[in-house]
This record gives sequence, structure tokens and C-alpha cells, in this order.
Amino acid sequence: MMSFITPHLPLLDLIFIGTGYALSQAIVFRAGTFSVATSGFAALGAYAAAILTVKHGLHPAVAVGLGTLLGLLCGLLLSAPLARLRGVYQAIASLAFVEILVALILFFEELTGGPLGFHNIPRVVTPWILFFAMLATMALLTLLGQGGIGRAFDAMRQDPPVAASLGVNPARYHVLSFALSGAIAGLFGGLDALRNFSLTAEQFGFSILIGTLSAVVLGGRRAVLGPLVGTTILVLLPEIFRPLADYRQAVYGLLLVVVMAFLPFGVYDTIVMKLHNRRLARAGMLAPKVPKAMT
Amino acid sequence: MIAQQVLNGLVLGGVYALFALGFTLIFGIHRIMNMAHGAVFMSGAFIGLFMVRIGLPIWAALPIAMFGAGLISIFVEVIAFKPLRKLALADAELASVISSIGAGLIILSVGQYVSKTQTMRFPFGTVPIDAIVVLGLRVTMLQLLMLGVAVLMVALLAYYLYRTPQGRQIRAVAGNYRAAQLLGVNPNAIFYQTFFLSGALAGAAGVMVGLAFNAVQFLMGEPFLLKAFVAIILGGLGSVPGALIGGLVLGLLQSLSGAYLPALLVDAVIFLLLFVILMVRPDGLFAQSMTESPTKRV
Repeated sequence: MMSFITPHLPLLDLIFIGTGYALSQAIVFRAGTFSVATSGFAALGAYAAAILTVKHGLHPAVAVGLGTLLGLLCGLLLSAPLARLRGVYQAIASLAFVEILVALILFFEELTGGPLGFHNIPRVVTPWILFFAMLATMALLTLLGQGGIGRAFDAMRQDPPVAASLGVNPARYHVLSFALSGAIAGLFGGLDALRNFSLTAEQFGFSILIGTLSAVVLGGRRAVLGPLVGTTILVLLPEIFRPLADYRQAVYGLLLVVVMAFLPFGVYDTIVMKLHNRRLARAGMLAPKVPKAMT
Repeated sequence: MIAQQVLNGLVLGGVYALFALGFTLIFGIHRIMNMAHGAVFMSGAFIGLFMVRIGLPIWAALPIAMFGAGLISIFVEVIAFKPLRKLALADAELASVISSIGAGLIILSVGQYVSKTQTMRFPFGTVPIDAIVVLGLRVTMLQLLMLGVAVLMVALLAYYLYRTPQGRQIRAVAGNYRAAQLLGVNPNAIFYQTFFLSGALAGAAGVMVGLAFNAVQFLMGEPFLLKAFVAIILGGLGSVPGALIGGLVLGLLQSLSGAYLPALLVDAVIFLLLFVILMVRPDGLFAQSMTESPTKRV
């Protein structure tokens, strides 16, 4: 068993970290915000953890903790301006936020290493740490999602005026979703930094943002398991299609197109929804068909 | 010196405007973001380059590139957007971002395969390299060509949208999809038309950028897509005149800030501007819906 797993350990790392980012992305989606700021929060957490450990000699755990806190604070700060916008405007504003951060990281060379990257980071994070961080995050989000907070998020996503009329304070839950998203991304950014010896700004640019976004939408954005499913598919896909390595981009693109056309709510959510409807149909409570709009 | 920078900025801005117009045209009508627009732009540059390589002059290669890019844009509509049209808008908004990214990746990988991941160049002398001096400003033939193409395309698009029956149908669909359908407009024909127009504009921009930087490679669309957001938001998402003005302002801004700021800060400034505009005037500085004619005549 171990002989099978060991060569694939880096893949597991990628799945755990990617799932962390995807969970951070999914939580703002669940609260009805089309923000893509996750990779920005992750960049803050990663650079904070790396700089504090290497230049200030802090214990890695403390550095990651401070990185998480920085992500959380930045989430709080960003939530206010984004609350004024909706839909694609939120997406573009948060994209601008990420691009500003990446440009600033490149500019402040003494602090961040600039275009050359930040190197000589101690490698202290093991796959087990990543695994437990992912499990803990999923457990936390499950707990929150099942209670009043989850219901408030769902109500806000589906119909903000109705949610407000039912006593959900949209501003409060909006801020909460961003704080959670920022903290989770900061945490996994910090862990990512202390796992890989070096950091570059491009690591947190447009392509990782697209990757995280695809993982969430592909897996499913409602259930906590969706991001895990999506990330696993996206990480394993190039391995499965290794004979087609030259066409990896095309396969990846085709997958996104096909899944969106046939399972627009993501692999996991669509399956859960179908099973749910079948159960209802069997109990005679619903005609056996998938509802067209599950916002 | 500053006048020269302004001129360079306007030329670059014209190309940004072509790119942004295609993107905003689709947003205005479908309320979706076409993330494959950068890939369509790249395909236009590729087709233009290959046409020049087989010996066609640039004035013949350009329309062929535009036509090809238009067809590729229709391909994006068919595989990425058409299947999602049955969804509610809030769902389609997100799903179509992802599926158009997917469609873009498919086009990118074809581009990568065709170019073997190399940067390709137009043959020397595709556009005469003479420069003329007007009022102390140095204007190259290429700059004249870029400006001319941008002005011509924008004029043609404006004429088509605001002065022809087809354009009126397009604007009717943008205003109210169902009402337009009831009045006998075939929405599928409109969708194909707008995607073709959008792709053709992107293709023209692709050829111009390929000529201007004399570098054609499969990733050339991505920075343009990011920058185009600035131009589009500046003028108001979905507004045709807005995209034109936004593109010109962006070009000026980039050229001027490039001359007076450290290169690494230019992007930060431009994206900060984008963020601030979204906060202050999310509808853009010149908000105007596509259903209205800028001259108030239908």
C-alpha cells in the first residue's frame, strides 16, 4: 500500500491544499457573493508565513497563525466594498484586488523577493498536517453550514430581499463569509509556503484563481464535499491522461465545458440533488425531474 | 515628448477598444462574461500571421483573420453558452464563466499545438516601416494602420448596430429577450451574429497587436483580457460607446504611466483604478445602455 502511495505524495499535497483554497472560495459562493479573492488572501497568508519564519525567526506554527489572521483581516476589509456590488461586478472587483496584490508583491522586492521569488523557506509542513487542516476546515464548515448560519447563507444566495424580510442581516453574514474565506485561504496559503521551499507571485495570479474557481464549480458549490471532489478531479486528471500530456489543456477545457453543459451545478451537487429527488419521487412527493433552478 | 506618448497611447487604446467592444457586445446582449475572448483574439492573430506567411498582403490577411476569428467565436457560443441558456441567470453567470474558460483552453491548446509553443513573428516588411513626421511627431505606417483599422471597425459596428434593421434586432434582444422573440426576432440568429461580430473585432485586434509587438504566441490573450476589464468597466459594462472611450483612456493611461512610473507599478495603478471606479461608479463613467442610440434615433 505504502509503495503505491509514496510516489504520489505530492499529488496528495496538491489535493489537500487545493481543497483548502476551494473551500475558501465555496464559502463566499454559498453566501451568494461572486468574489474570486481567495488567491489574494492565500498570497497574503503565504508571504506572511514565509517572511515571518525566514526573516524574523518565528516558529512556523505562529507564523502560519499570523498569516491566517492577516487573511481574516483582509477578508473583513474587502467585504465592505464588495457588498456594494453584485454578480460579475464583484468578480471583476475581486479580480482587481488579486492583480493589485500580485503587482505589489512584485514591486516590494526587499520584502518579498520580487520577480525572483522568495526562497530558502524551511520545509516543515507534512502531508498529515495538510490532511488534518483540510479535515478540520471541512468539519468547521459542515458544523456552521448545518446550523442557522448555513440557512442564513442559503437564504441570502437564493433571494436577498426575502432573507432580509425573514430577519437575516445580510451585512453581518456577508462579513462573516468573507472573514471565513480570508482565514481559510490565509491558513492554506501559509501551509503552502512552508511546504515548498520557495514562493513566487505568479503562483497566486490569474491561473490559480481560475483553477480554484473551476474546482468549486466543477465539484459543486453547495455541499462541503463538492470542493474536495472538484479539486481531486482536476489534480488527478493530468495523471490519468498522462499519455495525452500534450493535450492536457484541451482535455481540461473539454472537461469544464462538458461538466457545465450536463451537470451545471457541479458533479457532487447534481448527484445529491438527483438522489434527493428520486427519494422524494418514490415517496410520491414530487414528479421525478430535476428542478431547473437550484440557486 | 508628452505629445508622442499621447499619440502612442491613443494607438494602443484603439486596439484595446476593439478588444473591449467585442467583449462588451456579448455582455450587453447575454449578460455573461465571455472568458474565451482572449483566446479568440489569439486565434485572429494566428490566422492573420499564417495568411501573411503564405504570401497574402496585410490588407487581404486582415479580413480573413477577422472572418476566421468570428467563426471561432461562434464555436465558443455553441459549445460553451448555448447549453447553459436554460439555466436561471444567477446560475448561468457562474457556469458560463467556467465553460467559457474551458472553451478558451481548448482554443489555446490548438494554438499551442500549431505554434509548437514558439513565439512567431510577421515577416519583415509586412507593413512598410517608413515613418512620417507630422507637427514634430513621429508616426509610423503601422500606427496609422492601427488607428485606421480601429476607427473603421468602430464606425462600421456603430452603423450596423444603430442604423440597420439587423442592428435594431440585436438591440431589441439586448433590451428584452422575450419581447423581441414575441415580435418575431429569431434569438439564435442574433446570438450567432453577435458572437461573430465580437470575434471579428477580437480578430482584428489580434492582428494589430501581433503586428505592433511583432510577437504572436498562444498566451497573448490573457493579459489583454485582464486589461480589457479595466476599459470595459471604465466605460460601463455592456455599453458600446463606453468601451470605445474606456479603451482609449486605458491606452493613454498605460502609455503615460509607463513613461513616468516604475514598470512594475503600472499594473498596480491600472487595477487600483479599476477597483476605485467599481466602488464609485459601478455602471461606468459613461453609463449608457445598448438599447439606446447615442444619437436618440432608432
